Amino acid sequence: MLNTEAIRILVLAVLFAPVALAALVGLAGRSGYRSARRLASLGALVHLGLTAALAVPAVYVLIDRSESEEAYGHRAANSFQPIFVPGDPSGELGSYETAWNLFPVAKAPADLPPPAIQFFLGIDGLNIWLVLLTSILTYVAVLVSHGSIRERAAGYYAWLFLLQAAILGAFLSFDIVLFYIFFELTLIPAFFLIGCWGTGGGRRDAARKFFLYTLLGSLFTLVGIFGIVLTNPTPVSQTNPDKTHYTVVLDAKGQPHYPKAGPVTFSIPKLMRNVAVWNHFHEIAIRGAELKKVAAAKGLEKARSGREPIAIPLAEDDVAKAEREWQTAKADREHYKSLQYWLFFALIAGFVVKVPLVPFHTWLPAAYSEAPPAVALLFSGVLAKLGTLGLVRIVLPLCPDMAVQQGLPVFGFLGALGIVYAAFCAFAQRDLKLFAAYSSVSHLGLLVLGTFTLTAEGLTGAALHMVNHGLTAGAMFALVGFLAERYRTTDMNQFGGLIGRFPIYAFWMFVICLASVGLPGLNNFIGEMLILSALFSPEATAPVGYGLGIAAASGIFLSAWYTMTMLRKVFFGPLLLPPTPTDVEPRDVRPHEWVAFGLPALLCLALGIFPQPVIQSMKSDVNIIVRQTDDARDRANDAKSAAK
Amino acid sequence: MFDLSSPIGLALIAAALPLAGAVLAAILGWSKLGRFAHLPAILSFASASVISLLVLAGVIEGDGALSMSADLGTWFSVGRLNVTFAFLLDPLSLVMLCTVTFIATFIAIFSAGYMRGDAGYARYFSIMSLFVFAMCLLVMSNNFFVLLAGWEGVGLCSYLLVGYYYAKPSAAAAARKAFLVTRLGDVGLVLGIFLLWQAGGYHTTFDSLFDHIAKYPPASGTITAICLLLFCGAVGKSAQLPLYVWLPDAMEGPTPVSALIHAATMVTAGVFLLARCAPLFVLSPEAGLIVSCIGGATALLAGFLALAQNDLKRVLAYSTVSQLGFMFLALGCSGVISPKVAVVAAMFHLFTHAFFKALLFLGSGSVMHAMGNVIDMRKFGGLRKLMPWTHATFLIGSAALAGVPLLSGFWSKDQILHGLLEAGESHAKYHTIYLGLFAVALATAGLTAFYTFRAYFLTFWGTERIPHEAHGHAHESPAVMVVPLVVLAVGALLVGLIVDPLTHGFGHFLERSPSIANAHAGYLAHSNMVEKPHAFSWLVAGLSSLLALGGIGAAFAIYRRGGPEIVPAKLKPIYALSQNKLYVDETYAAAFVKPAEWLASTGRQFDAFLDAIARLLSFAPRLIAGLLRPLHNGLVQFYALGTVLGLAVFLTVVVFRSAR
Repeated sequence: MLNTEAIRILVLAVLFAPVALAALVGLAGRSGYRSARRLASLGALVHLGLTAALAVPAVYVLIDRSESEEAYGHRAANSFQPIFVPGDPSGELGSYETAWNLFPVAKAPADLPPPAIQFFLGIDGLNIWLVLLTSILTYVAVLVSHGSIRERAAGYYAWLFLLQAAILGAFLSFDIVLFYIFFELTLIPAFFLIGCWGTGGGRRDAARKFFLYTLLGSLFTLVGIFGIVLTNPTPVSQTNPDKTHYTVVLDAKGQPHYPKAGPVTFSIPKLMRNVAVWNHFHEIAIRGAELKKVAAAKGLEKARSGREPIAIPLAEDDVAKAEREWQTAKADREHYKSLQYWLFFALIAGFVVKVPLVPFHTWLPAAYSEAPPAVALLFSGVLAKLGTLGLVRIVLPLCPDMAVQQGLPVFGFLGALGIVYAAFCAFAQRDLKLFAAYSSVSHLGLLVLGTFTLTAEGLTGAALHMVNHGLTAGAMFALVGFLAERYRTTDMNQFGGLIGRFPIYAFWMFVICLASVGLPGLNNFIGEMLILSALFSPEATAPVGYGLGIAAASGIFLSAWYTMTMLRKVFFGPLLLPPTPTDVEPRDVRPHEWVAFGLPALLCLALGIFPQPVIQSMKSDVNIIVRQTDDARDRANDAKSAAK
Repeated sequence: MFDLSSPIGLALIAAALPLAGAVLAAILGWSKLGRFAHLPAILSFASASVISLLVLAGVIEGDGALSMSADLGTWFSVGRLNVTFAFLLDPLSLVMLCTVTFIATFIAIFSAGYMRGDAGYARYFSIMSLFVFAMCLLVMSNNFFVLLAGWEGVGLCSYLLVGYYYAKPSAAAAARKAFLVTRLGDVGLVLGIFLLWQAGGYHTTFDSLFDHIAKYPPASGTITAICLLLFCGAVGKSAQLPLYVWLPDAMEGPTPVSALIHAATMVTAGVFLLARCAPLFVLSPEAGLIVSCIGGATALLAGFLALAQNDLKRVLAYSTVSQLGFMFLALGCSGVISPKVAVVAAMFHLFTHAFFKALLFLGSGSVMHAMGNVIDMRKFGGLRKLMPWTHATFLIGSAALAGVPLLSGFWSKDQILHGLLEAGESHAKYHTIYLGLFAVALATAGLTAFYTFRAYFLTFWGTERIPHEAHGHAHESPAVMVVPLVVLAVGALLVGLIVDPLTHGFGHFLERSPSIANAHAGYLAHSNMVEKPHAFSWLVAGLSSLLALGGIGAAFAIYRRGGPEIVPAKLKPIYALSQNKLYVDETYAAAFVKPAEWLASTGRQFDAFLDAIARLLSFAPRLIAGLLRPLHNGLVQFYALGTVLGLAVFLTVVVFRSAR
């Protein structure tokens, strides 16, 4: 009933339409800001429609997949299973791979995954909502730019669409290098948007700082990516290197056959599988060597008690050989593990800067306060999600052992620290943009904390929180833009008593603020509860105790503390007039702003009351990650009990 | 699914009606018909009240457990956390539902007169309806997450209504304070919920959670921690020590709001929560003791603070805090004496208190309405003749609050005192402390009578004084405001007598609640005590009547001539201490608020410092470049020299290494 081929084309259309729009607006919108903005808002709306047309069947299929898995009690798959992959060589449901090679790095037999950088796009439960979010927020960003962007508007909208395209590309990528390319491509439009259309005097500095800081982080990630790719090649059979070899095979004599390293692969699902396989083999090899050692020791015993002294040296040889084999297997594993250790930190560097996780957030205040509100909206709403998606798409599946070992104690701790620290910073801000920025950092701390609980509850909470945070933080910046446009300032001290002056605006602001403080019935509550429950599950309390849970729960109060203080200052009390009289009487919410504020606010409400379809569509993919991390946790526990 | 005509279906309809009322009122306000916004509110409350009373009438007969649950589908469900829209109808929730909707109906009618002509008329009724909806959600929830939704929902409505006069800085500050202080308690509540979830086998609905806990009791430390964390939430919401400070400030809201939210319903949510969780509290005598101690301390302290307030509404606010303390005093006994006595006493006091305290607040609202929004008792007095209806009803409310025999407050207070005495006479571990708390409760009862009648005499006796803010229009309130006063006054007079001492209906009905029955079973299992029949004790009744009449007599002796108040020089320091609220607000500001703000600004500066470090790092390339730059001086000879020298060094090294 679904025309898969058409939806595959739709995936491409969703990715490339913003590029076309950018070209269109850039060329046709030069006659003035009015025509540019009309074109841009129409284009963004059409694109939103396209994305919705993609999302509806995708979500339908994803929910179906989760439900059938549940009904049949299937174990989660061992690697991501993107649907609607353009260039999929096989039929209806797809083989979860593509044939579109961009850049082959070696030749390989047809049976093996091609060692090539591929144009590998796809949809799964983790990215579909982010794709939809991106289109929604881009539309909102275009709408709130209406009044404030008058100079070189065509260029502005063109860069905005290019930014959207790059973000969408990163969300949709299932090839690790392609992901990285799109990830870095976002920097260029972002740089120009801050540098050219920023609002403050320090915008060029801020743009440069943002660019260099995040680039520095992601260069580490690049190193990590190549390290992972090189250390986790496709396993091939020892005897027949043309065949993949994912499981241990016993030969006729009952001896296990291990695979050897084949060609490299860049496909994230394939890499994920390879990581699992290599980790597994290292364990199996040790177990096998241990068994051999025991057998050899028994042989020696037998030979010594036997009557043929000639057998003793042979048996001793066997013992020595088994010992050597065991040592090698152990050394191999240690080597692999220590490599993964460093690769984990390298890989995660770019993402924690992008999120940003405290203390790698110092590029953020300048960038957010100098950027136009619409750009800050996209930054906190979707660009930050590149970092968080990177964590669940790349870091957790490709370094599951290190994520188990280092995740909560290091990055979970930083997340909890971020919740508290950024909340205090948010309270002390006098500028609304910085207020929104720090509040966003505080929520992202919770998101990262939830991610590293590595449980179904925590990861679902984090994945849901990505969408929730996108909506609330994005809408918050849109709302700040409203004031910036009318009062020409975002200094909190210049506002007061706005309920009386802009009642409708105040209504939307209250809705978004309440969503942000996690009021039940609105979206953030669900994510917070899921993450908190994960922090109280044995997987999290066993290694780190209840401290992180308490820190996360304190966020419930702290977010209310700074938000209510801001609301009191800006919306309550006697009315303050704009410091610099504007030429026209500032009006309350205008029609396009109704859409810009109402759309995210209504979605907040919908997601707060009916989150289950979203959760259901993510379920199967979250379980895929949880399977990897659960296996890693088992390995760690085994190693611990073996050490005892 | 369930049948909409079943009792729980009807109760859910009753709960949902105020939501429809809220939406309708908002639409009316939107469409310039704001002056009719009271209609959807009043009609929805009234019909909800009628429906819930009908449900009550339908199930009140009979014996045995009464509990119906309904599940309206999944809210969110991942892994071990399965949360549904789960609702529960048992005597506990039904009593709350009836009380809330009944009182709300009359307060809404009163509000229609009180708020007439106000600019935010529609906003007022819309939020009030939303409040009633959230309160119904809270009392009918069958898991902690729906409860939390109601809990936070009533908190939000309280915030919006306290800050109703948004242009007034004091109202804005009070609204923020109310939200934040209760939210501080909510942190504990949420932690408690998840700790319980973990200890209770990852169940979410109340019955399965409590069953699991009863079957596999966790370590006593864990259960005490859970109880105390849940109690944190109650401390915030029900304004107990040390978080009671928001409630007196919350009087900035319109007076009917104070009557509904800050006296009759929302602030009792903490009591309801503890009653609901009684099966947990019976397992932890330590937690029970702490609950009682905090309740007792709050009751006494708030009673003391109410002594010297000049603002009539503040007297009532402190009195509410004090009476809530009474309810917690009773709840804390539930591990020592049967929860059938303790929880029922607390709920009974909650029930009667809702009537007479709402009445008193509405009465003060009526006074305020007449006096041109002045509520300072120094500025008016002797209103007995001017406002006969208000005076009569206020007197009834005061007498009920003071615990004059045969009035509502007397019966419920008597049950609490009786329970405390029983706990004190038991052989439990901490029985002497309970005996001390009994004395505290008696003292508070005397104080209550005194301060209530002080306020009454200052307002209604003596020579007639009217502030000039009234512009000479001081008058008795219109019928729309007087009728609710009369209805509530009848309630304050008779409801206590009818529902329990005469019929014993209240206690028997509540005992059919599974929460209380479970708690009772747990109590019997843990304390190996024989159930004693609950008997009326003439000693307790006599003592409390004596104290009530003594307090009233003392107030009569001092204040019968009305204001202005003359304080004897010897008592001045104590009077000042009470009037300045023991400087608790100032202490909190110095001990917590200021340090937090300082920490925040330090955090901001530290952030700048972090940024400076990042900047410093970014100078490194430039610094290295600066070191190397002189080498590129553009002189070919220099480069040639460098090449030759480099080659020489390289060759030397190569030669020496190979020679070694």
